[in-house]
Amino acid sequence: MEFTVTKSDLVRELSLSQGVVERKTTIPILSNVLLEADGDRLTLTATDLELGIRCSCPARVEKPGAGTLPARKLLDYVRLLPDADVQVKVSENQWATLVCGRSRTRLAGMSRENFPELPSVSQTRAEMPAGVLSSMIGKTIFAISNEESRFTLNGALLLFRHKGMVMVATDGHRLSMVESAEEIPGITEPYRALLPKKAMQEILKLAQDAGAESMVKFGGDENHLFFQIGERLLISRKLTGNFPDYERVLPKEHPHTVELSRDDIRSAIERVAQFADERSGAVRIQVCPGELKIHSSLSETGESEESVPVEYDGGEVEIGFNAQYMLDFLRAVPENQVVFHFKDPVSAGELRPAGNELTYTYRYIVMPMRI
Amino acid sequence: MKLIFHLDMDAFFVSVEELFNPSLKGKPVVVGGQRGQRGVVSAASYAARRFGVHSAMPLRTAGRLCPQAIFVDGHPHRYREYSHKVYEVLQSFTPLVEMASIDEAYLDLTGAGRLHGPPLRAAHELHNRIHRATNLNCSIGAATSRLVAKVASDQAKPNGVLWILPGQEAKFLAPLEIRKIPGVGKVTEKNLHAIGVTRVGDLAGLEETFLERRFGKLGLALAGKARGLDAGGWFDGEIGDASDPKSISHEHTFSEDTAEAIVLEAMLARLSEMVGRRLREHALHARTVQLKLRYSDFSTFTRAHTLDHATKLDNEILDHVRRLFRKAWTGAAVRLIGVHVSSFEDSEGQLSLLDGEKNARWSKALSAADRIRDRFGESSISLAGGLKSTFRERVHENPASLPGKTPRPGKNDAAVPPAERSESSGK
Repeated sequence: MEFTVTKSDLVRELSLSQGVVERKTTIPILSNVLLEADGDRLTLTATDLELGIRCSCPARVEKPGAGTLPARKLLDYVRLLPDADVQVKVSENQWATLVCGRSRTRLAGMSRENFPELPSVSQTRAEMPAGVLSSMIGKTIFAISNEESRFTLNGALLLFRHKGMVMVATDGHRLSMVESAEEIPGITEPYRALLPKKAMQEILKLAQDAGAESMVKFGGDENHLFFQIGERLLISRKLTGNFPDYERVLPKEHPHTVELSRDDIRSAIERVAQFADERSGAVRIQVCPGELKIHSSLSETGESEESVPVEYDGGEVEIGFNAQYMLDFLRAVPENQVVFHFKDPVSAGELRPAGNELTYTYRYIVMPMRI
Repeated sequence: MKLIFHLDMDAFFVSVEELFNPSLKGKPVVVGGQRGQRGVVSAASYAARRFGVHSAMPLRTAGRLCPQAIFVDGHPHRYREYSHKVYEVLQSFTPLVEMASIDEAYLDLTGAGRLHGPPLRAAHELHNRIHRATNLNCSIGAATSRLVAKVASDQAKPNGVLWILPGQEAKFLAPLEIRKIPGVGKVTEKNLHAIGVTRVGDLAGLEETFLERRFGKLGLALAGKARGLDAGGWFDGEIGDASDPKSISHEHTFSEDTAEAIVLEAMLARLSEMVGRRLREHALHARTVQLKLRYSDFSTFTRAHTLDHATKLDNEILDHVRRLFRKAWTGAAVRLIGVHVSSFEDSEGQLSLLDGEKNARWSKALSAADRIRDRFGESSISLAGGLKSTFRERVHENPASLPGKTPRPGKNDAAVPPAERSESSGK
């Protein structure tokens, strides 16, 4: 195989595949990226067996063929090259020679024979703008559980309805749900799947590179989900198992509500949280007529309190929350005003963006802490 | 000046057995299991001790040393019941009581002279009260420190009372062998013998600086102990001070090594229950769950998992430890298996959104089970998964419901056990 690509094309596509490449793998070939030169394009493929990515860039192909090279080492090296054409030649013995300007490097590769085949793509089920998908991911991904034992919570529920799309993530302590009411072309029947967190992270990168306006083609079969963004394809194994019945835990009603400025409450919590117990992150939120107070104390370090004016004339309520959980939402919500619904120290609280003209639904349910 | 009593029940397990079976009286009795079983001696009667049998010795060795001994399985619930009786007497005597184990306690009687009279009279009075309430003998040591009180009660045995006059501590200790000092084990004893120290008096004669140079911190502690002081962390903390454990664990050595997953997992269920029960008794919640595995070749592994919330529920502990087990177990025969929890928090902290109702139900069920165990014994109720592993409760394991220090505020009826063998207080 022999081809020439520009350094910038190669760096960009290698960077996008980097997140998929297995870092500490017991299967050496998974640390490699598969390079295939054919026609006028170079195709790059990486996989960790859970997730696979295929991208490509224009290339001048002198001799079509394929080979695999260590992904990390290749990117680290090519990144340092001057902005010029890179000529790559992979010989029969799997050694690659890279020539760029006055630089010349030999790199040991592995035969493509051992590189796992990506599953074949099924038909497109739906199309949506990349911006819509990535904004839904951004609003839910932080609520995904890192607890390996709760594997059905290690991803988000993706739900297509006749009209609109829902994404839900929870770690068992809080739940983030976003519903876009925009018409999704191509959806003919309801569809649901569990999307692993790592795939969501990669979609965010691909969508950002492609731009919010570009369209994402989505497909799914028994075991896999497919996301085609421009020339790039992401294939993820589905998470198996039953996602909890999230609608059951969505509060039906809230006795109390206050409206808050997102930035005010966020910076207040950030400051007070400096004096929260590091492990639990607990802060006390006290709502009384006319003001909302946030307080935390560490017996050996000190204490901190903030007061935010609110319109409220109900009874005094004090609830403990994990500050990080509150901040996760406040950092993700794009609207400047938010509403906080609450009941008592042992019932779920809820945060939402404020306003009547919202075109989508965003609900964030948080369980309190006993303190 | 302080006045500390150390009360130690005489051959406690054996004496309790004798109450139920008077024919055992005066005979060589070994409590802890049957002759030839795997396991160790929990207690031996004075008659058996004359043959060299002592606690912690393998049962088989005991059988060899004393072939005519009567082997008794032991009845933990009886010992628990009598330990409670002893505790009640002690509590009525002074509020500052600390059970050091199921059959010994420290009492702080400083300034109680107006109530109980001079130390020796007070000790005799306590001795009589214990006998009246339990029909059991005990020995009491009285001194200005815990250390000397403990050594004194040992010297007073059996069935005696010994008061060491203030100022006479070093003189009392001097002729004793150094291993009589709490905290001097086999290793320290050997090291001290190596420099010609065999009696406590020899030790007291050495320069503190020399001991520190030679043994470090331990040397300093030894110097203090030789003079009868509560030195070196062994007796840190005031009597009656509640101190929470830093970890809780239970382990089990199989009478025959096993590689049967179902047996091993059943044992994990049983051990998780025991650990959960202890957690609830201390009103603690744990964040870290650890598995311990020892294979036939004695190679030992531990695997730990930190939860994203704190728990006191048997089923959650079991879930996590079983997962660790399934990941770590090689399939080889296992000799010992253990469950250990740590990273304690006072409250459950983060509430669950998805499992709230389930946890509440478990919590209620387990506290009902705890009350049943309080009344009918530890093995009266258990998780179905643990039933396959019912093993006889070992008498040398300190029971969960040991009476002790003041219960934590907000706790219900159960008294809090003091620092126990398997609860490392981190001191």
